[in-house]
Amino acid sequence: MINELNILWMYPDILNLHGDRGNIMAFEKIGKMLDIKVNINKVESYNNEIDFENNDIMFFNVGEIKVMPTIIETLKKYSDELQKFIDDNKTIVLIGASGCIMAKKTIRKDSEFEGLGILDMDLVERKNIYGDDILFKLNENNMEIVGCQIKMLDTILHSDISLATLEYGSGNNGYNEKTEGAKYKNIIYTNALGPVFIKNPWYTELIIKNALKNKGINIEKKLTDNDFALEINSLNAIKNFINQKGEKDVS
Amino acid sequence: MKKLRFLFALFIGKIICFLVNIINKEKGTNIAGVFACKLQKDFISHFTGIDYNKVFFITGTNGKSTTNNMIVHTLRNSGKKVTSNLEGANLLTGVATALIKDSSLFGKLNSDFFVFETDERYFSIIYKYLPAKNICITNLQKDQVQRNGEPDYIYQKIKSVINKDMTLYLNNEEPRVKSLAKYAGKSIFYGVAKNDKSFIKNDFYDVSLPCPICNDKIIFDYYNVDNIGNFKCSNCEFKSNETIDFLATDINYDKATFKCLDYTYSINNTEPFFIYNYVLCIAICKTFGISENEIQEAFKNFKNISGRLETLHYKNKVIKYIRIKQENPETLQSALDYISCDKTPKIFVLGLEELKDFAPYYTNTFYAFDCNLDKLISSNVQRYICFSEAVAYDSANRLIYAGIDKNNISILPTDDDTAIMQELDKYDINNVYLITWLKKYYELDKYIKNHKEDKKND
Repeated sequence: MINELNILWMYPDILNLHGDRGNIMAFEKIGKMLDIKVNINKVESYNNEIDFENNDIMFFNVGEIKVMPTIIETLKKYSDELQKFIDDNKTIVLIGASGCIMAKKTIRKDSEFEGLGILDMDLVERKNIYGDDILFKLNENNMEIVGCQIKMLDTILHSDISLATLEYGSGNNGYNEKTEGAKYKNIIYTNALGPVFIKNPWYTELIIKNALKNKGINIEKKLTDNDFALEINSLNAIKNFINQKGEKDVS
Repeated sequence: MKKLRFLFALFIGKIICFLVNIINKEKGTNIAGVFACKLQKDFISHFTGIDYNKVFFITGTNGKSTTNNMIVHTLRNSGKKVTSNLEGANLLTGVATALIKDSSLFGKLNSDFFVFETDERYFSIIYKYLPAKNICITNLQKDQVQRNGEPDYIYQKIKSVINKDMTLYLNNEEPRVKSLAKYAGKSIFYGVAKNDKSFIKNDFYDVSLPCPICNDKIIFDYYNVDNIGNFKCSNCEFKSNETIDFLATDINYDKATFKCLDYTYSINNTEPFFIYNYVLCIAICKTFGISENEIQEAFKNFKNISGRLETLHYKNKVIKYIRIKQENPETLQSALDYISCDKTPKIFVLGLEELKDFAPYYTNTFYAFDCNLDKLISSNVQRYICFSEAVAYDSANRLIYAGIDKNNISILPTDDDTAIMQELDKYDINNVYLITWLKKYYELDKYIKNHKEDKKND
């Protein structure tokens, strides 16, 4: 019997800012490489019902900040189902500004709005937008992740819930901070773009396996460096590029 | 005192213009304005003889240079005197330079029209000193995210300036700009009817954008250009108008003609995004009394600014270069669609690069994942070549994700011109398309010229 993974692709047209549909393609491709059937279920409009019961991962790509209050209000209607989804250790992935959804609050330049309050953090709109590469290691296993970041929001963590330790780029709350993203249970929040799960298929593999393990399926197959040769070459090329950047560039 | 300061700044500006004209006409398109605005911050507000009803700002993400140049060309061709920043210097200083050039020693202007391309970020600053009554917004899309972040960032900046004393010229088929109409006193809509190059998207991974009114999903009935076409919101009443002021219809790509208000125009550039530029030009010129015949005469001899579509000749190969903005998926998609129209065997060279617009430089290639490559793949590409020291692998990965066999892709992790041309030499196909940055195109152009010189000397 073929193993199946069910992913809710949340609001694909609304959370569509930086080529992020690639992340979903990555889950489909890496799943296939692991001999898993990945079913991607779109939730396209706020009027669509959300099937929490039959899905393993909820995926929120990056969107404009202005759409976040509408998404938050929509999800509030499902607070019990969402809480169960989280308590069942199912996976939620949030990229960039989608962190607003699970944060306590987001402070914009001229207003603020409450999030669902599940991640112990606030997001604060930056005075200036910041774009750069980003390189970090996951706290759980030292896995190296590369991507880009377009930061319109700084992340203020109120407790020790960071996802990763920064090697290059701007941290959650600027250059002086070395934390990146947040993780609580299986809610993963990262600022990395790229699309990050295209550029780091080793992370995609990890999330797929963890999500399946959570429903009692252990995947023995391990993808190798040979499978990821192109992405490893990309990682090294970008690390070389980062190493060549002068101090002036990152000020 | 302010007047004296203005006259002094203007005098300095005119001297700089004179010197730039002697030294290098091509360069220094805004130097005079830079100095004048340093001497007086509100310098451009002191010119006299400007009827703000005859002042136009052309802003938006794509198409503003072409549209600006086309409008100015058409007005001038019709005998009107026009002040404009044609050289693409679209900040406050570029506008100031244009005014310095055309004014008297006392800052008086006697132009019939003032048409300025304005950078969408600086639109509000320029408007503060030069309150134009006519604003053309071509489209608002993802672009230069390192400084703009998201389209809503620019949307809010533009919205903050729009008032009831303005007339907006808006693309009826682009949701973001269409939604700005409610903030203006008057809006004139232009658009392009469904035509032979219109297309629909119904693949699983196709995505659109959020509604600017209610944030729900926008549905396009069809597209004329990526993210531009007849649309409606999936939730609220917001949609393209069914009847508009200026609509291009009966588009015949073979004959290079279209109709607008029952007049048939012949055109030189037939790419779908160009039709939008033409019809916006018609909308403005017709509104201000230019006749159809005069507009048509101008279209006949309109030449677009160089560097957008160029051809290089290398040995027996013809390399067709298409300029892109890597941080704007719509221009990348338009370039891919343009290549796809050629069904003959070809080599496709993709030179996405690390972005060097602002520090820190970075390796953003993610907008390639916004683009669809299906039409390109089915257009008889025999070989794909990806080059770039930092991002060749990422570019190749995008192609592989689109279903292209990795064995059919040459990955060159270098920016070396010799390596790129040597890779081309390996294939016996003379039809080559190149997408890369303008700087790289100039480097390859230089390399090819040097190569020809070396051959002669041999």
